[in-house]
Amino acid sequence: MAANTDRRRINAPSGGTSAPVFAKTVLESGYLQSLRPNRTRGPNELRKTFLQTGIVPSASGSAYLEVPTASSSQSTLIPPTSSLKIAASIQGPKPLPRSAPFSPTLVLTTTVKFAPFATRHRRGYIRDSAERDLGVHLETALRGVIIGERWPKSGVEVVITILEGDEDAWWGDSGAEGGAGSGFGLLNVLAGCITVASAAIMDAGIDCVDMVAGGVAAVTGDGQKVLDPCPAEHQDLVAACAVGYLASRDEITEIWLKGDVGADPDELIEGATHAALGSVSVLREVLLENMEAKMNITKEGSKRKLEDVEMTG
Amino acid sequence: MAAITTPSNTAPALTFPRPIFATVAPHPFLQAHLAATKSSKTPLRANNRTAQEFRRIGVNTGSLTHCNGSAVVRLGNTSAVCGVRAEILKEEDVQGTADFAPSTGSKAQEHVEGEREEFESLRLLVPNVELSTGSTPQHIPGNAPSSFAQTLITRVRSLLLSTSLVRLSDLRILYTPPSNPDDPDAEPEPHLKGYWVLYMDIFYISIDGNAFDAAWIAILAALKNSVIPHAFWEEELETILCSDDPSEAHPLALRGLPVPSTFAVFEGKRDWNESGEDDEVDWVLSDPDAFEESVCKESVCVVVDCSGGKKGTKDGILNKLEKSGGGVVDREAIKGLVKRAVDRWEEVEKATNVKP
Repeated sequence: MAANTDRRRINAPSGGTSAPVFAKTVLESGYLQSLRPNRTRGPNELRKTFLQTGIVPSASGSAYLEVPTASSSQSTLIPPTSSLKIAASIQGPKPLPRSAPFSPTLVLTTTVKFAPFATRHRRGYIRDSAERDLGVHLETALRGVIIGERWPKSGVEVVITILEGDEDAWWGDSGAEGGAGSGFGLLNVLAGCITVASAAIMDAGIDCVDMVAGGVAAVTGDGQKVLDPCPAEHQDLVAACAVGYLASRDEITEIWLKGDVGADPDELIEGATHAALGSVSVLREVLLENMEAKMNITKEGSKRKLEDVEMTG
Repeated sequence: MAAITTPSNTAPALTFPRPIFATVAPHPFLQAHLAATKSSKTPLRANNRTAQEFRRIGVNTGSLTHCNGSAVVRLGNTSAVCGVRAEILKEEDVQGTADFAPSTGSKAQEHVEGEREEFESLRLLVPNVELSTGSTPQHIPGNAPSSFAQTLITRVRSLLLSTSLVRLSDLRILYTPPSNPDDPDAEPEPHLKGYWVLYMDIFYISIDGNAFDAAWIAILAALKNSVIPHAFWEEELETILCSDDPSEAHPLALRGLPVPSTFAVFEGKRDWNESGEDDEVDWVLSDPDAFEESVCKESVCVVVDCSGGKKGTKDGILNKLEKSGGGVVDREAIKGLVKRAVDRWEEVEKATNVKP
């Protein structure tokens, strides 16, 4: 672990620590399977999404997204599934430093970071390849939306913090344990990142051609198409696809497809855009709320000016 | 108001909108607020609080799935998430546990001093902070932890150790063999098989001053919320296993409830014509926000704990006193600050006691 040599942080014991192993999972063979979560929604039904903007007042724009899990069991300390909790914050647009080369358009930088407590395995503070990968995918999704020509010589930072992320597969299945699983969970995380970043950009008031929204669809072993799959609930996903979708222009800025799609990938991509439409409706509502709140503030702001402390200078 | 008029003010008075005044001249801006002589009203700071007023605390616990305990703390616009995660440190991975092992038998007497040494040498408490989450424009990701982040976490860690907040007995994993190998008639002695290591990760969602108080209250609330599974040594498999039954798990029994209160000292510009007359020009601001931190040099942090005695806030312990950056706060002023910190303790105690 690289964090062991990091002198700028507080380090773990040098002997290394291990996550607790629960007795029942080792000693009783059927116990683990009894905890397996099941999909209770229909194949076309999306999970509920909570989205809020303006959580970081010092940033120019920010948003928080949460996709809660359906069940939380009280009879065991082993959490059945995780939910998705993502915070996004936009810093900028601000002028590039003098040392930076000239850029006629807005320079977009995206950073995605998992919190150490985001997944079942504790993560380090140094960014790993999965996080960089997500960052690049997110940048692709956003770059096509922002009208960069309006901000020459400036840069904007999109910082995404994943407080809790979806898993690649249900953790009880062997193979997924080592983190070398199918990677389907990352697709959900990416779709969440796209949606929350879009809301934050909207909050920051950066000009865009449209609202981009993320959506995921997957194909199960028996050929059924499901929207918004929670990988923990499906044992037999064969392929999944995440898109960044512009609903009113019917354009796609980002596709990430994993697994064996078969002869016709279009249907899967189509499914993902349908899932994205669900996120768009959430985004629209948040945009409206955001606008109303801003109108109210300007009204109150003018009221406040009257009773202000008198000042000269 | 006379305090801030500058010689160039003979021209018709220039007025600015608030935000511009604050950016162009932050120091006079705050002073004008604090020195405002509106009748019958206590002067307010730029953030609409009085000098003595702290921000309201909001605590929300147990929202993270993969943590033994977690808390989200809000102090006005400062908000932090803390997740406490317990992992097992096996006895064979530790060098020199022999020094500590004998004391495991006598659980009745607790040597707080010895415990502290054991915590420190084994590194059983691992707090860390992350500021580069877009929480403030100053901390952009991609850089190494800034000196501010390093100072912050060192302060948190030293307070964790010096207050002996966590009990070692909660973190030890003991095993009592069925019979004593040396003497079959005697009581079997428990053996130390491992430790729980507590990782405490603090992620700031947003920073608007007073990051330290937020971090500490988040840790405090998360630790109070933490549940450690029952761990035992399985002799057949020769490994440590845990029980997933919530009724067997134990919460952490914390020693007291130390609460920090940070104050910033605002030194107003004195009018040098009046030779140091009675004008009040220095203010001690409770719980400063980011704007106030940027114009204040001196800061005081008082950590008090009133949970020991039965008399509530009348019977408190001063855990720690940190002061840096100036000489305005004297002995008398410190006394006043401790009183303010005790009042704050009561508020924090109420906020952290809320069950999820």
